[in-house]
Amino acid sequence: MQNLKNSRGQQFCAVLLRACCTAVLVSCLGCDSFVGVELPDSQLSVSDVFEDATTANAAMAGVYSKMRDSGMLSGSSTGCSYVLGLYGDELEFYGSSDVDGFLYAANGLLATSPQAASLWNEAYRQIYGANAVINGVGESAFLPEAERNLLMGEALFARGMLHFYLANLFGAIPYVTTTDYQANSTIGKMPVGEAWQQARVDLEEAVSLLPETYRSPDRTRPNKFAAMALLSRICLYQGSWESASEHATAVIESPMYNFDQDIEATFLIGSSATLFQFSPARSTDNTLEAVTFIFDASPGDSALRDELVSTFEQGDLRRANWIRAVEDNGTTYYHAYKYRQGVGATVQAEYSKVLRFSELFLIRSEARARQGDLAGAAADINAVRSQAGLAGTPASSQSELLQAVLQERRVELFAEFGHRFFDLKRLGLLDATLGPVKNGWNTADANFPIPLSELLLNPNLMPQNAGY
Amino acid sequence: MKFHSLFRYGRRVFCPVLFGYAFLGTQGALAHAPLGSSRLSFFVVQQQVSGRVTDASGPLPGVAVAVKGTARTALTDLDGRYSIAASDGEVLIFSYIGYAPVEVPVSGAFLDELLKPEARSIQEVVVNAGYYSVKESERTGSIARITSKDIENQPVTNVLAAMQGRMAGVSITQNTGMPGGGFDIKIRGQNSLRQDGNRPLYVIDGVPYDSESLTDGFASAVLAGRPSPLNSIPPGQIASIEVLKDADATAIYGSRGANGVVLVTTKKGKGGKTTVSANFTRGASRVTRFSKLMDTGQYLSMRREAFANDGITEYPEYAYDVNGTWDQNRYTDWQKELLGGMALFSTANVSVSGGSERTAFLLSGGTSEQSTVFAGNFKYRTGNVRASLNHQGEDGKFKLSFAAGLSLQDNRLPGNDYTAEAMSLVPNAPALYDGQGNLNWENNTFNNPLRNNLAQYLSQTDDLLSSLKLSYEIAEGLEAVTSFGYTSTKLRDRNLVPSTTSMPSVQLTSASSYMSMTIADRTSWIAEPQLQWRRSFGMLDIDLLAGSTFQMQEGESLLQLGRGFSSNSLIGNLAAASSIRVLGNEKKEYRYQAFFGRANFNLNKKYLLNLTARRDGSSRFGPGRQFATFGAVGGAWLFHKERLFGENSTVSFGKLRASYGSTGSDQIGDYQYFNTYGTTGIQYAGAIGLEPTRLFNPNFAWETNRKLELGTEVGLFGDRVFVTAAWYRNTSGNQLTGIPLPATTGFQSVQANLNAVVRNTGLEVTLRTENIASGNFKWTSSLNISFSRNRLVSFPGLEGSTYASYYAVGQPISIQKLYQYEGIDPVTGIYKFADLNGDGSVDYLDMSKTADLSPKFFGGLHNEFRYKSLRLEFLVQFVKQRNRDQALTMGFGGGMNNQSVAMLDHTQTGGTAGATQIYTAGFNEQAVMASYMYSSSDAVITDASFARLKNIALTWDVPTAKSTGVACQLTLQAQNLLTITAYKGGDPEFPAGGYLPPLRTITAGIGFSF
Repeated sequence: MQNLKNSRGQQFCAVLLRACCTAVLVSCLGCDSFVGVELPDSQLSVSDVFEDATTANAAMAGVYSKMRDSGMLSGSSTGCSYVLGLYGDELEFYGSSDVDGFLYAANGLLATSPQAASLWNEAYRQIYGANAVINGVGESAFLPEAERNLLMGEALFARGMLHFYLANLFGAIPYVTTTDYQANSTIGKMPVGEAWQQARVDLEEAVSLLPETYRSPDRTRPNKFAAMALLSRICLYQGSWESASEHATAVIESPMYNFDQDIEATFLIGSSATLFQFSPARSTDNTLEAVTFIFDASPGDSALRDELVSTFEQGDLRRANWIRAVEDNGTTYYHAYKYRQGVGATVQAEYSKVLRFSELFLIRSEARARQGDLAGAAADINAVRSQAGLAGTPASSQSELLQAVLQERRVELFAEFGHRFFDLKRLGLLDATLGPVKNGWNTADANFPIPLSELLLNPNLMPQNAGY
Repeated sequence: MKFHSLFRYGRRVFCPVLFGYAFLGTQGALAHAPLGSSRLSFFVVQQQVSGRVTDASGPLPGVAVAVKGTARTALTDLDGRYSIAASDGEVLIFSYIGYAPVEVPVSGAFLDELLKPEARSIQEVVVNAGYYSVKESERTGSIARITSKDIENQPVTNVLAAMQGRMAGVSITQNTGMPGGGFDIKIRGQNSLRQDGNRPLYVIDGVPYDSESLTDGFASAVLAGRPSPLNSIPPGQIASIEVLKDADATAIYGSRGANGVVLVTTKKGKGGKTTVSANFTRGASRVTRFSKLMDTGQYLSMRREAFANDGITEYPEYAYDVNGTWDQNRYTDWQKELLGGMALFSTANVSVSGGSERTAFLLSGGTSEQSTVFAGNFKYRTGNVRASLNHQGEDGKFKLSFAAGLSLQDNRLPGNDYTAEAMSLVPNAPALYDGQGNLNWENNTFNNPLRNNLAQYLSQTDDLLSSLKLSYEIAEGLEAVTSFGYTSTKLRDRNLVPSTTSMPSVQLTSASSYMSMTIADRTSWIAEPQLQWRRSFGMLDIDLLAGSTFQMQEGESLLQLGRGFSSNSLIGNLAAASSIRVLGNEKKEYRYQAFFGRANFNLNKKYLLNLTARRDGSSRFGPGRQFATFGAVGGAWLFHKERLFGENSTVSFGKLRASYGSTGSDQIGDYQYFNTYGTTGIQYAGAIGLEPTRLFNPNFAWETNRKLELGTEVGLFGDRVFVTAAWYRNTSGNQLTGIPLPATTGFQSVQANLNAVVRNTGLEVTLRTENIASGNFKWTSSLNISFSRNRLVSFPGLEGSTYASYYAVGQPISIQKLYQYEGIDPVTGIYKFADLNGDGSVDYLDMSKTADLSPKFFGGLHNEFRYKSLRLEFLVQFVKQRNRDQALTMGFGGGMNNQSVAMLDHTQTGGTAGATQIYTAGFNEQAVMASYMYSSSDAVITDASFARLKNIALTWDVPTAKSTGVACQLTLQAQNLLTITAYKGGDPEFPAGGYLPPLRTITAGIGFSF
């Protein structure tokens, strides 16, 4: 009996063992594939991305969404609209000393400040995305010609714009045009003038590649005129008055763009004064700017400076429509109200305007004044002033007109992408203007510090900007 | 979408080998039955030997009786009687679980035997070495070990906590005192330049356990990083933990053995009497120590002086502390207020064990609960069940061992750790609650810290671990073993941030409340067919092992963010969010294949040679880079067996051993060699964006670590004094690392092999002494101490490379580069630093002073006293190290946050000089900058060595009547009871401030079994 049981057990074990060994053999014969893995379906190989128009466009959409949500061009509290408002003379700081805004308001950035590093890092991350599109599209065999030109033009537009802002913030910067990390990790700096010129070259190419019609009717992807508008601004910064004026004229004369009948419509989605605007992340969202600037009782972190509010002329519609006063315990605070759909908005009405029609008039006015066309300059200022319900400018001499255009830029473009700070900077007025109103202002604060980590990792980026 | 074949070369060699051994295996099994047990009995005259086996309390049923060197076996019956065919001169082996096996030569037909419960000397203990086990005295490798006895007396919920201070060469630091938090473990130093490439391999009951946390760290900020995945292994279920350190022990784990291997063996059942045991522990914890901070008077005078220094007479609007907005006579000790609570700790475990002589089972279950020292109802709860079954066939040839355990964790914590805020909060800040008991925001001037209580971190983890091992003795000495394992981990992490955590003035409504949620799972299976062959040729014992591994692991994680709820009470329900964004949805697959072997030669039980090798293939590497071979040779000489040392020599044990070999590391994550785009999950103009996943580099391969070890073990006076010493040198090359890149590349790093060599050398000494062993009183001590030194040996082109700012050739890789502090400028009253590069200005380029913050030596001293049924044991953990002085790195003195009392001794403008610089309210840019540089200078590096009474336990075995069979035990335990240190900051164990330090826990427990 015992024996029988035993041998049965043994037979069972032999069978089991044979099964195991067979399993091993089978898996062994299948060895070839055992350690092979495929890419998961949540990832795509680079070559696949650019063989298909949908995925290639998604790659470009990835770049735009990053520009909208983070870094210099975002309407959030990391972007120039807020950061340079505090850093310059547009916003007063009311937050506590442990939030990012304090550092900007006090002009207290250090080479080790994570805030400066994140602006820098994010910009180059976005630039990498643009360069990857330029590369991918360039190597693509199957994308139709029109699609290639469009994507190439958009990526060049983004690359030029990002570098232009970087140079304005940090001074001399590396201009990155490849995705090769070995080259990019030892890249040297380019003086501001050269970086502007390089951005101009990118924008000129974008102008030649992009069509006049918008890819999307809501103007959330740039067309030829959007590229031209930015190109015109770069020329202005460079002092190429003629080119600035010429490009501005091309945009102004296009029938696609007009001032809105009603100044309240300027920041609405359908405004015909829009050249390029960011599409929000969700179909119910409005702008990040509204969330950043609007408050309903006392200021959250910041409010408009009284000097800015009082600089508007009597009867300026922009003062009435784009600024809101909030009473708190007997004190009146003001906030930018260009974008009105803040937290808790129930309708989608506004997109973040990256390039607007009125700026072209101000660019051309300044360029014309510089070139001696004083009548033309006054006419352009007045085109903007009449929109705001104001009479023509009393300025008549060149210097008066230049002064008038600066003031007009201040009230037209306040709280938008750091226009005010950059204007003061390019015109050499920072010390004279900010010195008296900002406690912590130093001449060296004109440039942000290059992040310490960058200098440590790439000695070719030395020297650090003066003062840090 | 390319399909890569990784096994082009290996197949040719290994498939035939496997084929061969599988064939052999089946043949052996088939051939076995007809061979039977009578084959060897032709030449000897056999008789029937019978007898009775007993222990001190009576007959023992189910004892296995075998004739040595034959397949003849028998079992004792209920009366302890047996009968077996054996001839004179043959040897009978009596073995029974829990008793020491006894070998008795046969002479005559009757043989009674008295078995003694296992009280084997340490040298006889069988140590688990993973694929094989080895007697402690005969091991050639370096293996440290702790058992359930060491673990049981510690009120901890993570095994890593239980290992602290008990194992030479194993350095463990706790990341946070929050329940469920993580640990940092380094076995013999840091081998890889990648911070996260230094994890050891964990193997639980033969099944590798991925120690990478499933959560992305997004939600678990309160835990100072990721929770420890080892929380899933209840300490109460562990029988032993072995840590494999040198090449001899780890090379058989090949590509995963570079950082050491931690083997966890769970408890198994015992046959015979069914035993139910249970134990319950309850206790409480508090923070070990607080920093000494300023009171209101000191603080406000600092602030006023700071403003005066800055030339500001009218205090700014936001300076509520000094401008009269807040009551200037109010004082709150915020550390006491926010961190001074008592956390409750309780555990309960029940187990049932029993079975027959051939089948034993163990069922156990347990729960634990820990609250926090914070206010609010926060808890970490765990529950677990486990079943283990062991069975062997009647003839002892077939064996089965199965275990499956399920562990559940539920962690409910506040959204943030209060520690940093408790230190920085202004001492005259307003009360936490207003008159009505609501959170006090003091008219929107006070960012009430208890807002964090409204946010919650909720985490649930379910973990299933199972293993099955089948073995069959095909022929004498030849055994086929196949082990299988399956693990499944599911995690759900939620971080709830309601709008009410913001000041009312921000006027957020539930429409801006948000919650993030991670749902992740990971499953893996492993199959390891093996063949083992043992044979004695006279004085030479040979033990051979060959096997292969097939492992697959799959995982998926989904990270979502929901924003905008119609009410804050719905915040836990993602479906109630008005917008849901998928932040990430990652899928991963990892496949791994290996062939391994071991050959062990034991000559005369005196000379031992151990050869191990492994060939590994991993899906983590690109085409042509996937396979590598690792191997080691180890040897030992048991010199006390030489004639020089006679029977009664002082030297009772002596061993010299040495090993050399290579291991590797593949801890780099999956799919790194593909050039890919992944989804951003974020929409733009109707399209979901794509983004480049990483910088592309397909040409990277295994990191290798060559390990050399020399060791000796000496026992004196019958092993009452036992000393071991091991010297090692581990050289890590071909560093597989994310090389840091400047952001201008678009990324922060790229994956590549770096031609740098990191060397760890060290000396580990242990001393165990039996100080007193007389009758009722017994005192034993054991000491372990590890000295280690890390050095970057070579780094071609370091100067021009991106690493220049972190490392220096000839220095440890854990150095910090710092400014050199030069005192306070007598004119400005501001800190000065040396212009080390002599370029005329002091800036980051002068950060070339170095300090090494890794421990110089560490260890533990354990003492155990027994008097009758009383047992007292305690462990002192000690570490010699330096760290940043937390008291001096709390920002600039004079800002709107509290400071250490160390800041009182400051320099006054135009007045006396002090130890720290002049105060500033933040307007003196130069002083602010100097303060930041000061925190990165050698001035703040201070001695942070400590000796800590890590654990103390008093156990009393309550005398019970033997006849009832009931045993009862009472225990008192304490963890981190006392810390001796000269460190001025918070807890010295801590690598960084700002998180809750380890807690002091005192518990009482009762255990009984029947």
